[in-house]
Amino acid sequence: MTGALLRARDISRRFGGITALAELSLDVGEGEAVGVVGPNGAGKTTLFNCLLGLTPPDTGTVEFDGRRIDRMPVWRRSRLGIGRTYQRMELFRGMTVADHLLVAEQAHAGTVRLWGDLLHHARPSREELDHVESALRLLGLDELADRPVDVLSLGHARLVELGRAMMGRPRLLMLDEPSSGLDAAETARLASIITDVRRSEGTAVVLVEHDLTLVGDVVDRLCVLDFGRMLAVGSVGEVMADERVRQAYLGSGA
Amino acid sequence: MSQLFNYAVPGIPFGCVFALMGVGLVLTYKAAGVFNLAFGAQAFVSGLAFVFLVQDGWPRWAAGIIAILGLGPLVGLVLDRLLFRRIRTASPLVKLVPSLGLLIALPQVALIIAGSTPQIPPPALFLDAQTVYFHLGSVPLSGLELSITVATVLVVAALVVLFRLTPVGLEMRAVVESPRLTELFGINAGRVSAFAWVLSSCIAALAGVLLAPLYSQLNPEDYTVLLVWGIAAAVIGRFASLPLALVGGLGLGVAQQILAGYLPAGIIATGLRPSLPFVVLLVFLPFSRQRQLDDPLADCDPPIAALAGEARGYRAAATLTGDRGDETVAVGLWHRTLHPDGGTSIGRRLLQRPTAVLGWVVGGLAVLSALTWVSPDWLLTMTQGIAFGIIFLSLTLLTGMSGQISLCQASFAGLGGFAAGQFANHLDLSLLAGMVLGGAMAAVLGVVVALPTLRLAGLPLALATLAFALLADNILFPNGWVGNGATGVLVPRPEIGPISFNASRSFFLLALVVLALVAGLVKLIGDGTMGRFLAAMRGSEVAAVSVGIDVHRLRVVVFAVSAGLAGVGGALYGSLQGSLAPNDFNYQISLVLLVVVAIVGLGSISGAVVAGVVYTALLKSLSTLPARYAGLLAVLFGLATLSYTRHPEGVVDYLGNRLVGLVGRLTGRWRDDLPPRTDAPAHPPTGVERVPMAADGVDR
Repeated sequence: MTGALLRARDISRRFGGITALAELSLDVGEGEAVGVVGPNGAGKTTLFNCLLGLTPPDTGTVEFDGRRIDRMPVWRRSRLGIGRTYQRMELFRGMTVADHLLVAEQAHAGTVRLWGDLLHHARPSREELDHVESALRLLGLDELADRPVDVLSLGHARLVELGRAMMGRPRLLMLDEPSSGLDAAETARLASIITDVRRSEGTAVVLVEHDLTLVGDVVDRLCVLDFGRMLAVGSVGEVMADERVRQAYLGSGA
Repeated sequence: MSQLFNYAVPGIPFGCVFALMGVGLVLTYKAAGVFNLAFGAQAFVSGLAFVFLVQDGWPRWAAGIIAILGLGPLVGLVLDRLLFRRIRTASPLVKLVPSLGLLIALPQVALIIAGSTPQIPPPALFLDAQTVYFHLGSVPLSGLELSITVATVLVVAALVVLFRLTPVGLEMRAVVESPRLTELFGINAGRVSAFAWVLSSCIAALAGVLLAPLYSQLNPEDYTVLLVWGIAAAVIGRFASLPLALVGGLGLGVAQQILAGYLPAGIIATGLRPSLPFVVLLVFLPFSRQRQLDDPLADCDPPIAALAGEARGYRAAATLTGDRGDETVAVGLWHRTLHPDGGTSIGRRLLQRPTAVLGWVVGGLAVLSALTWVSPDWLLTMTQGIAFGIIFLSLTLLTGMSGQISLCQASFAGLGGFAAGQFANHLDLSLLAGMVLGGAMAAVLGVVVALPTLRLAGLPLALATLAFALLADNILFPNGWVGNGATGVLVPRPEIGPISFNASRSFFLLALVVLALVAGLVKLIGDGTMGRFLAAMRGSEVAAVSVGIDVHRLRVVVFAVSAGLAGVGGALYGSLQGSLAPNDFNYQISLVLLVVVAIVGLGSISGAVVAGVVYTALLKSLSTLPARYAGLLAVLFGLATLSYTRHPEGVVDYLGNRLVGLVGRLTGRWRDDLPPRTDAPAHPPTGVERVPMAADGVDR
């Protein structure tokens, strides 16, 4: 896979005596959707944190679009075009839905505009507001734009996280169990939004998920992690037929 | 070598007391979820009770039992029930402010209840404090030192037995390790943590009683200093390990004596000893944070429950119907809508912001009064209020908007004032130029504070800034070229060309202009892009970096701006008073400043201004009362602290929300007192923290 957008090599991370990731490698092609599944504790969230720099890996390299990014600060990786959601949601408490998207939009555009603020009461530009509004429409959140996120339902809050990660047109979206806590209808809606974004923007997606229906709907390729190791890679059908995967993930009786 | 030994041995009793404090702090922090800064006050209360009981003729053992095993845990339990239990899951600021308020208020309340100070020198718990019983090598050991050491050894032995050999000790160790996992095994963590609370209160009381004879007179300030050493010990224990905290406390006690013995006399030496805990804080705090990040179980905690007070803020919000649909007004801290120009007519906009109207009317009347009939000393008070309002605004920016807790804001103000005075005196500048330069110097200090603390947040950041405040008090301000020690620095009144601001009314106007400039600056930042970034950083630093915000840079900038504004406020205050001494802005003032502005309102500019005026007006009115009531301010302070746990949004925002609701009801435009919920809230309400893991399992 030569033209990989994201290329992670030999990522290892230990927490005390626990090996969360053991020399794991992962490639994500331009516009490709890769699912990552595995039992709880397999190292999926740690993988995300290592790729994005929130947890520095002990060993290994990460390239994005041909550039080494493993020594970059997190915010710079994000500005290169990596959006991310969190399994344990990390919303900006007290801010409105629209402001969440606006912050992300403006953060992608550049640094603190202190002098601009002081000189002319910086209002968001028309263009920025347009981006926010179209994202709100795509997510179906336009009705809730001015609500503080603290009063949203879990389903809507997950959509806000997704929307925030989508701002600034990232080339790669990393979604950490976006359907956790959602019901079937909300999950289906989430799947259709992710598919829409991929189709219109050509965004690559890494999806950590337990919900295999969502995974099946969205991804092109599936990786199975177990104890920090890559157990199997392939199409959804292939991987699910793999005996080792059935043993580790679905339990031997499955 | 023997000299080292001679210096080290007298440090052991000190170390024992520090260690006890450290152990108690860690115990409540881990088992009850609160870093209890009121610990120093609890120690003081028991120490005071002990001395009074002995003075009244009680035998020392009986007085000791009452003070240590009776009063100590009683105070602790009352505080737990009234206060700390409610804020277990609150944000670091909401946890910190009440304990700071109590640290200041509790000793004063105790002194008021006592009605006088003890007439006898504080006795040791046992043995005679002054008698030398024997020599260790050539070091004489007095009853005081022996009693402290023996009592500590006994208590530590008892703790070891408790923790190693008894069921409740085992449960407590489990709770300290992980409250959630413990509950999974069917142990009531609440009961265990209540026990831990009682135990730590006894330890505080013991430390207070043991320490008393070190001083000829009991003084709350000495106990605050003791608390600070205890904090350092707890930090060495990384907020988690009781044995490490114990060893850390002992080590600090010995180290400070050795330092005092070897260092030559001078500002650095006399300053370095009291600042040793802060050096320790700065060195060890980053590790405590690092450990949290590396802890694989750190993610296993369920999402933080919605902060009761913040949710309350939203509940108090009113939704008024406008032409462009619903307009949510007055929601929480620094909340904005995407369409700030929602209202159509001026009348509607005024209606939507009744608090603003009221604020302008009251403010206008106050200014008018100040310029016409107010007496000179009340005019002085009002001008002081404005100066403090500016300093409070710097906290509105730093803590209110960006969520960084600073306990060294008074140091910034002090440096600004000193620098302004020094520049004006030595360079023969107008004080206005000095004020700008003073603000710039304070901003530089802000950067100096921000850089080493970039990786800290919440409580560790607060403690680190406290460290800086004490460093400034002990090492920076005593220098002749800064604060000039106890003498202080003359800060002249400014002149602009022929216009002099020596008259109190013209100076009042000048202060008002500076306030307006600072308030405008804070508002522009809050409403602009930077305000939005700051709000994001306050909401979740992790999410802020992962949308591409350079959080470190943002923090340096906001610290610098905030420190600069505080420096301008300090310079204005100094110029008003004519001179400024280090004690005008010592670390205790920093604590008071944060508590006052948090109680009145960190969420708005009006909150800061009201805080400034109310604070100085209260000080002024209470100073006219008889000396017996001097502590009344502290009582008010304590009560306000209690109210704060119910309304962390602050008095101003709380009343404002009520007013919005009232106006809405009266005009029939009130729709609902809740922004309509879409479904169940995303953040579970407080109390859900007992659920060990999210229902869908937690993953790494």
